[in-house]
Amino acid sequence: MGNESQQSCRPAAAPAAAVAAQARFPRIVAAAQFVAPLLFLLLLWELVVRAFGVSPRIFPDVEAVARAGWETIQDGTLVRHIGASLGRVAVGTVLAIAISIPLGVAMGLSPVVSSFLTPLFRFFSVLAGIAWIPIATLWFGYGFGAITFVIFNAVFFVVAYNTLLGVARIPMPLRQAAAALGAGGWSMLTQVILPGALPNIVTGVRTGLGFAWRGLIAAEMIATNVGLGYMLFLARDFYRTEVIVFGMIVIGILWLLIDRLLLAPLERATIERWGLVDRA
Amino acid sequence: MKSLTLRNVSKTYFDPYAGAHVTAVSDASLAVGQGEFVSIVGPSGCGKTTILNMIAGFIPVSSGEILLNDQPVKGPGPERGVVFQSFALFPWKTVLENVGFGPKMRGLPKAECDKIAREYLALAGLADAAERYPNELSGGMQQRVGVVRALANNPEVLLMDEPFASVDAQTRMTLQEELTRIWQERRPTIIFITHDVSEAVFLADRVIVLSKGRVLKELAVPLPRPRVWDRLIEDSAFKALSGQVLQLVRSA
Repeated sequence: MGNESQQSCRPAAAPAAAVAAQARFPRIVAAAQFVAPLLFLLLLWELVVRAFGVSPRIFPDVEAVARAGWETIQDGTLVRHIGASLGRVAVGTVLAIAISIPLGVAMGLSPVVSSFLTPLFRFFSVLAGIAWIPIATLWFGYGFGAITFVIFNAVFFVVAYNTLLGVARIPMPLRQAAAALGAGGWSMLTQVILPGALPNIVTGVRTGLGFAWRGLIAAEMIATNVGLGYMLFLARDFYRTEVIVFGMIVIGILWLLIDRLLLAPLERATIERWGLVDRA
Repeated sequence: MKSLTLRNVSKTYFDPYAGAHVTAVSDASLAVGQGEFVSIVGPSGCGKTTILNMIAGFIPVSSGEILLNDQPVKGPGPERGVVFQSFALFPWKTVLENVGFGPKMRGLPKAECDKIAREYLALAGLADAAERYPNELSGGMQQRVGVVRALANNPEVLLMDEPFASVDAQTRMTLQEELTRIWQERRPTIIFITHDVSEAVFLADRVIVLSKGRVLKELAVPLPRPRVWDRLIEDSAFKALSGQVLQLVRSA
């Protein structure tokens, strides 16, 4: 283990033993390389807090945060907040994907429409996220509607724009080849257009979910009374710094889990296997 | 028996860079018999790819008509197989799925598609590559897949657009020999577009020289088959014909 954590800092000078270990246990080594820097950060945190005698108000020690975390787990508040946050992300994202992919495909198929809409979508892709919170609360009031709308926007424009881009970028000979082999409209869509645009769609979903996650936390601080963002905000009112830090850690870990367990495997199973990753 | 006929076919399109109408193909007439192997050769910009795209149905003719077995060509269709210079294999499908795509589009059950695909893969010596993805194959192997994918649909005409232009010289010679072998076994009608004079002569029964959108000359190639490079490269009749075509192309 010691060897492997060192290796993650200096991959260029990887000792032979570590290389052999990597070949034999690729998953364990990869996990170790991922976890080691986080453990290092934890250690550094504890050392700094102790060495300088930092006030718990400013920054609590590791144990206090762990205790606060255990409390929120035991009394069920953590589960409630996580459930609310993930529920909003799921609903907003699924809705956005369900609408933006067909729309992006339809637009990408027409060069005139896609060149007209590309600048608009690029504009809204950048704008998407927390910039929508004020207007969302005016339209939907405080709560589920406003927050889901913010997430929907964050995902919708990025995915629609990337889908449009992906469809427009499919090499013409691929479509011609399919047509010459007898593919009609539906087959063309399912066999050529959608898989051809998939690398861009996956990139769009990954980017959009990243925006959505950030937007979610911000929106929950303003526009609701349950959720991880609200948990942080509430803890601040009671000067519970350890709860704030614990919440931040949960937010980061949840995102890493979503990205690593949901999005990265999808990318590996499809576009990397097909050798399309350079197009993404 | 006439398989494919082009009657006074022209193609003009608007070139936004030149700001004017450009004539890519002008009054081309052509008849290709069933099972015949025809090469169309000419310098770049002579309109050879435009002709092929019109026969494939990818672009409409401006005037004249293209007939396949007396039926006018309207849009792409499975009776005209196309092999592309860029291979145009579906990266998200395995080699087997690529070759079985045409049969699948005809509505055949999966087992039947796989059977046909394996048969054609064996024909090109690709039986072992069936489960691989195109990006895992060399350029030469990818184009072998491209050729048998078009053949697996059993087309009446096989249209080939500079299919071997992007592979290395040695592989190209092998592919040319394999193509003549497969053609002799299956006898599809082939229209082969190239700018390579010796390739045109090596492969075809007849070479059509194109210049500035017009048919400049047609030459019969009475060389015996099977054709192999080891023999033809020093063959005086091959050299004489190639020289003649080269002169026509260069004067074009």
